Amino acid sequence: MRTTRRRRLAALAAAAAVATLLAACSSAAPENSSSPDGVKGKKITVWFPGTNQTEIDLVEKTIVPQFEKKTGATVDVAYYDWGDLSTKLNAAFAAGTAPDVFGHGPAAVADFVTNDRLEPLTRYVAAMPKKDREDLASALPGGQVGGVQYLMPLSMQGTSLVYRAADFTAAGLDPDNPPTTWEGVYKAAEKLTKRDASGKITHSGLLLPSQATGRQQTFAALIMSAGGSQVSTDMTKATFDSAKGVKAMNFFTKVYNGSDAVAAGLGSDYSDAPANQQPLVLGTASIAMQTADKTMQMIEANPDLDLRVMTPPKFEGAKKGYGLGGAGSGLMINADSTHKNLDWTFIKYMISAKVNAQYTEGIGKIPARTSAIKTDYVKGSPILSAFVKIGSDMRPNPNVPGWVQIRDTMDKYIEQGLHQQLPAEDALSQAADEANKILKANG
Amino acid sequence: MTAPTATLRSSAVRSKRRGMNPRRNRVGMAVALVLAALAVLLPFFWMISLAFTPEKDAFRSVSLVPANPTLENFGTAFIDANLLHALYNSAIVALVAVIANCIIPVLAGYAFAMMPFPGSTAMFFGLVATSAIPVSVTLIPLFLMAKGIPLAGGNDIFGHGGSGLLDTLGGIMLPYLVAPMNIFLARQYFSTAPAELAEAARIDGAGELRIFFRVYLPLARPLIAVVAIFAFTAVWDDFLWPLVVTSSTEMQTVQLALARFLASGNVQYAPLMAASVIVTIPVLLVFLFNQRSFISGLSDGSVKG
Amino acid sequence: MTATATSPGVAAAAAPGTIQGARPPRAGKPKRRWTRTSIWGLLFTLPAALYVLIFHVIPVIYGFVLSFTKYSPLSRSGPEPIGLKNYTTLLSDPDFGNALLVTGRYVLQVLPITVIIALALALLVNRPFRGVGLFRSALYIPHIVSLTAVSMIWLWMYSHNGLINDVFAFFGLPDQSWLLNKGAALNAASAMRIWKALGSNMVLLLAGLQSIPKELYEATRVDGANRWQSFLYVTIPGIRPMLVYVVAMDIIYLAQGFAEIFVLTQGGPLGSTTTVNYLIYTQAFQYNQFGSASAMAFVLFAFIVGFSLLSIRGLMGRQK
Repeated sequence: MRTTRRRRLAALAAAAAVATLLAACSSAAPENSSSPDGVKGKKITVWFPGTNQTEIDLVEKTIVPQFEKKTGATVDVAYYDWGDLSTKLNAAFAAGTAPDVFGHGPAAVADFVTNDRLEPLTRYVAAMPKKDREDLASALPGGQVGGVQYLMPLSMQGTSLVYRAADFTAAGLDPDNPPTTWEGVYKAAEKLTKRDASGKITHSGLLLPSQATGRQQTFAALIMSAGGSQVSTDMTKATFDSAKGVKAMNFFTKVYNGSDAVAAGLGSDYSDAPANQQPLVLGTASIAMQTADKTMQMIEANPDLDLRVMTPPKFEGAKKGYGLGGAGSGLMINADSTHKNLDWTFIKYMISAKVNAQYTEGIGKIPARTSAIKTDYVKGSPILSAFVKIGSDMRPNPNVPGWVQIRDTMDKYIEQGLHQQLPAEDALSQAADEANKILKANG
Repeated sequence: MTAPTATLRSSAVRSKRRGMNPRRNRVGMAVALVLAALAVLLPFFWMISLAFTPEKDAFRSVSLVPANPTLENFGTAFIDANLLHALYNSAIVALVAVIANCIIPVLAGYAFAMMPFPGSTAMFFGLVATSAIPVSVTLIPLFLMAKGIPLAGGNDIFGHGGSGLLDTLGGIMLPYLVAPMNIFLARQYFSTAPAELAEAARIDGAGELRIFFRVYLPLARPLIAVVAIFAFTAVWDDFLWPLVVTSSTEMQTVQLALARFLASGNVQYAPLMAASVIVTIPVLLVFLFNQRSFISGLSDGSVKG
Repeated sequence: MTATATSPGVAAAAAPGTIQGARPPRAGKPKRRWTRTSIWGLLFTLPAALYVLIFHVIPVIYGFVLSFTKYSPLSRSGPEPIGLKNYTTLLSDPDFGNALLVTGRYVLQVLPITVIIALALALLVNRPFRGVGLFRSALYIPHIVSLTAVSMIWLWMYSHNGLINDVFAFFGLPDQSWLLNKGAALNAASAMRIWKALGSNMVLLLAGLQSIPKELYEATRVDGANRWQSFLYVTIPGIRPMLVYVVAMDIIYLAQGFAEIFVLTQGGPLGSTTTVNYLIYTQAFQYNQFGSASAMAFVLFAFIVGFSLLSIRGLMGRQK
């Protein structure tokens, strides 16, 4: 009991301090006084997708108090990691205790939509100023299902090839002019790969995520860069078993297998490893597909490391290269919320230029707005700037009902292909058969 | 209880054993024990080492001694994860669970072993079998029940209208108060207890409750110690139920506090280890306290103290 | 109070006779009648029984009903009855069959090793000596450290440049990708599980050892038995009830192995560590299919109960 009281006191003191500060700020900023109608005195519950401490501090001590002060409403916030959110939300929806606003990754959205659990946001978005909509243009599609907006992304995610400049120089490659095609990347990787006397790879030229879930993501980036797609545009049929899919799959398999392989450690989860256990930090690989967040962490732990970000390469003959990315996690409105006006006001506040810049800087992610490229946060980090620059080359996984299950199915067969238990054609066509069944069952 | 006869006898045994046991044997056992303890603790040593390592140096070297030791992670653990409050919540829930489990299932196990009745075997298996169903399946019904507890959290007598025991300490402790496995454990333990004691006491006119509490429970100190340790550990370790049943920071348990550092793809290793080491300590104390019940062994009085 | 005062002496006197037979009237197939004592017996079990009925049995029955339906907790319409379809689908699902095999192998390889090492450790820490509490605690620590936290250490130890490969290299053995190799991953997960389960097994067996009246050892010693003989004829029969519990508990918990798999291998590589409970978790919380998750759970349940009863029989049977 005593701890609770002490904590409350501390929280009160902090809140008071923030409030005083804010009062000082708001007197200088007149637009803060414009409070939307009908939200004053109301209370909503929000579940945030993330347990990052900076995020919690920021939301709890700055963003929410500012919002509450501005609107006169109350916002109750809780934070859950992605991995735990589904469990929480399942129980809460079954019991009717789900929050008004909740966050999750784009992959989960379609299932909520199928069960009529989400408020469509299209009309809210349409009411936003055109300037804002354009600024958010690369983030919005990731939150749409069947063309309807359901999720407002708070940040962007992106994966690209990251490489050690020093290794390029040492191998006689030009770190300022990295390859632009996957074929070129492979050739460079062959030069960068090192083997011991027995022919075993001791240093990987090119690492692509091949662990659970990671291999589907790698495949997605490859098939898109070959000009293919994973699901038909009307979202009713799997299309990843196309010739382009086979090409992507074969490329992926070749990276890890055979005498001219350029990567060791098939199946190992290097991408989520601690910064100091990252192959690019340890010097056990020269090029690796990696997320913006992790790359920034590597630099933070090792400021002297010269890592560069490649523009997503394409396959020869394809139009353009893509990385898997786009919308990161975002917020959704519970269809049963009784304060949707306030819910949206809160979401809109979270994605407003200033707050969103503050928020994404706090959690070390890519801002949802293109204009964020001008913020000090982005300008201060060459890695982040590079990722923001290639933001328009990022494409999300399709938002179809049952996606998580389809993804895991693809994952299972891609794994069999990678381990050469099935030829690429068979692996993909069997995966497509199962995926079509799932699409049908959910459609 | 004191039993002078037992003490006498045990000292006799002790002197006899000493004669039988060559010193070489003892040294061998001591070495085996030290090696086993070191091997088992190795991963834990690394946790401690990481707990004192600055986050940016985490996993940088293989050495067990951090190059730049720091206490910073402990500060992070206490402040960011609000660990003190979580320790308090978990301790309350665990203590209630320990008390409940040391009485209710132990009493039932005793009855199943010593006072069988028509249908008791079937009933016993029915109760214990519930442990063989994965939590994933029972989580949501249990959640609905916690919400629908009558007259709690604004609920009416039919369990409607309010939030029941959701987001309360009472809600957190709900599934732990009687662990079916403890009924099984107690039954096994009492299955070798001497029945003659009860018969003698009955002839003396003692009531059944008194026989249990005054005769058998004192004989079952190792059992109580084990039940207490397990009940405490079970509450302390559980993640899924507190995750689902709580929704405010005030109600966080220790595992939920640890989860603060476990963001997918962005684990904060050093603070996580610091918090984990802290969280281990209370259970360790509970264990140390209870293991004193394992005193009789081969050479000590079984009814000491 | 009379009872209390006499108990130690009676216990000592009665013990040698009772320990081995484990009371024939209770062990056999008695025709139980309602007597004053047995009515009290029923009363004693009622608090526990009612609690378990409400908070454990009812959720299990709920789950059983769900296993005949299609149900997502997200759906507004509630469970939709589909008869035996969840079960018939399982019959033809190769992934489920594979998961059952993996689970079986996992139980069979973790259980004996854990019990044997735990028994050895329990015997070592059963004698009172200075600092025994510290040794007991040290051996129990793995059971209480947070699994998610310590799994980070194990992941690192198992990684390509981790400790285990260093040890292998020291002995001149080739290095391995422990968690990436189809043949090694389940063994690696088993090793961590054995490490984690040792403590609880040891504590239980220790409690079992404590229930053996020391007079029995004394008696066998007077008869001229050596240590091995007294282990065989006093220790083993004396801890048999606890051993039964330990084995049954291990089967029940190991067959539901999930967390260690989730943190170490996510069921891979190539499904070689996908246990049934791992499938159940993904079905329920990743795909929101509680109907088929429940069906899997009850098939697993049948296996656990069958296997536990068999081993209980086996362990108790040898007594006769």
